Amino acid sequence: MTSAGPDESIWHYDGARATRHHPRLDWTVDGFSLDWGTGRSGPHRWSALVPMDGTAGRSVYGLRGESGWRLGFAGPPPEDFAVHLPLPARYGRWIDRIGLWRALGLFAVLAAAVIFLVLNAPGWIAPWIPRSWEDRLGDAMVGDFGGRLCETPASRAALEKLRRQLGPDVPIRSIAIANIGMVNAVALPGGRILLFNDLLSEAKSPDELAGVLAHEIGHVRHRDTMAALVRQLGLSVVLGGFDGQVGGAVNGLLAMSYSRDAERAADGYSIAALRAANISPLPTAAFFDRLAKVSGGETIERATSWMASHPVSAERRAAFERSAVKGHLYAPALTRAEWTALVDACTDDPDVKASDSVF
Amino acid sequence: MDEQGARAFGFHGTWRDYAPIAFTNLLLTIVTLGIYRFWATTRTRRYLWSRTRFIDERLEWGGTGLELLIGFLLVILLFAVPLLFLQFGMQAMIFQGYVGEAMSLAALAFAMIFYLGGVARFRMLRYRLSRTWWHGIRGGADDKGWGYGWSYCWRYALATMAISLPIPWAMTSLWNQRWAAMSFGPFAFESDARAGPLFGRFLLFYLLPIVFVVLGFGLLRMIAGDGALLLMRPGEAPDPRLLFLFALFALLIYGSLGVVALIYYAKFFRVAIGGMALSTLDFRFDARSWDWLRLILGDIALVVLTLGIGLIFLSYRHWKFFVTHLDATGEIHLSELTQSTTRAPGQGEGLADAFDIGAI
Repeated sequence: MTSAGPDESIWHYDGARATRHHPRLDWTVDGFSLDWGTGRSGPHRWSALVPMDGTAGRSVYGLRGESGWRLGFAGPPPEDFAVHLPLPARYGRWIDRIGLWRALGLFAVLAAAVIFLVLNAPGWIAPWIPRSWEDRLGDAMVGDFGGRLCETPASRAALEKLRRQLGPDVPIRSIAIANIGMVNAVALPGGRILLFNDLLSEAKSPDELAGVLAHEIGHVRHRDTMAALVRQLGLSVVLGGFDGQVGGAVNGLLAMSYSRDAERAADGYSIAALRAANISPLPTAAFFDRLAKVSGGETIERATSWMASHPVSAERRAAFERSAVKGHLYAPALTRAEWTALVDACTDDPDVKASDSVF
Repeated sequence: MDEQGARAFGFHGTWRDYAPIAFTNLLLTIVTLGIYRFWATTRTRRYLWSRTRFIDERLEWGGTGLELLIGFLLVILLFAVPLLFLQFGMQAMIFQGYVGEAMSLAALAFAMIFYLGGVARFRMLRYRLSRTWWHGIRGGADDKGWGYGWSYCWRYALATMAISLPIPWAMTSLWNQRWAAMSFGPFAFESDARAGPLFGRFLLFYLLPIVFVVLGFGLLRMIAGDGALLLMRPGEAPDPRLLFLFALFALLIYGSLGVVALIYYAKFFRVAIGGMALSTLDFRFDARSWDWLRLILGDIALVVLTLGIGLIFLSYRHWKFFVTHLDATGEIHLSELTQSTTRAPGQGEGLADAFDIGAI
């Protein structure tokens, strides 16, 4: 048996009272015990000692199973005592085991893999989600849009004609006009497409509408809305580790920058569909041009486009313009009567709710 | 009994000692996509606590990163996931025209979040005390804070309804209620902060808008009236100096609001901590508005000059500020200071974490 102390440089708290003891230490290869005259602690096994870190040059140990029990040394412990002691944890047990730099490298590779997976997996997963689930989700989300859908027999026929021309083999469940004052169109889960009323009043011809509608049909065909939902879910799980602000910012950035690819693909579908239906792409190009002017000029848009979800209007316009065949005779997407039926659908529908929307 | 100096609390860290911890924390947090931040917090606290002296002995942080992670996951599971569903449901309800129902659901969710915010404040303090050791003794609370959450709700609701005038009362009474539930060893904290001394400074918040309106009118006269400057004449393009003037005015509004808040909080902490006692110990906090202003300006300068990297040193700076201005008088009888019998919470401050409360 070996001993050290008692002296001022070795102290002990028993965890029951705050009184500081200066014990004599006795130890063998199996364990150790403390004795301070009015009391003693031990014998304890070496394996029961827990090193505490960050103690400014002092060495402090706890005892497994006895909270508040402390054994402290003013500097390092006596040498033949110290050989039995475990090292304090530094960065955390796993990281200490493999070393900081190796852990950093390993985690960086893992993180890159996780981010890659979260960004790409939705595109792979979405096609495997049963259509019936997506349909139910879409119905639960939208329902009848609070009675704000505009429909007349003539408008229904016109939309059906557009659908036949632009997406004959795409599982679209409905195309509807919503009485909402926005120049926009959306593809919702479950193969539903909504055209907002101001899109119709702003568009100068049915061909412009056809280009926008075909773009949304492209989203339905590629199941982009489902992929976007899955991605949003995945991102919020992965970024949950960061605190609110950082996570939110990164989430928005990643979710959007990725969806630009989806937007380009939808534009690609639109161009192909217009060509197949023998509809001129030039009116759609002109429409993008007008949109660019509304959204505050091209330079501003270009400067902010790295985080915007739509490709820059100028790029999109050019893509549509390039696809036009010079001298080719295109057919209009709808007759004048059909077009008027669409534009007037919201005024002609007797039981549609007014557009005093909450949006 | 004093180790050095006459003050009961002392801070013995240096930023050079802390820098390796701060930088490795940052690196590990980035490459683990944020998951390491619970261990990072623990390492920071271990450092800060161990460099903090109370009378003759350093404090010790006994918390672990794992329990912080568990606390965080529990909150996500119990509150964040249901809230996500609620949000989704609300969107669907608005889409389908049930706007009124969606709004009342939103109000309910807001009330729930507000309540949990109060509970979070309580549980954060309880967790931190239960993991703070001194002479082998820890603190804690038997109360779990669910009742405190209600108290937090009605006091703030009442204060807000009365044009916010009773806010100092709500703040001090909640501070008292929270601390009265806490203990260290066998002794309960006593807290007797009064709202009275706070009202003078609180009224500055009401004075400020009046000053702004008067200043604003003066500014308008200067630029558009018969004043000497005449930066804007009808039918002409405005002078570019006008933009500068407006920016200056906006900065003045933000800056002076911040300064008033600072003046108020400086007094609040002096009053709140000054009203606290533990057994025969009386606490005191002596940071004045000027000290707070220097702290905040230092924070801003540090973050701006280091292009944001200085952020990782803020918790160090704030803890140091807190400890160097904290003092206690009275005697503590170590033989009477026995181990706490409170049940230590099993997981970390997940709720507070979720609400971004508490910077250290």
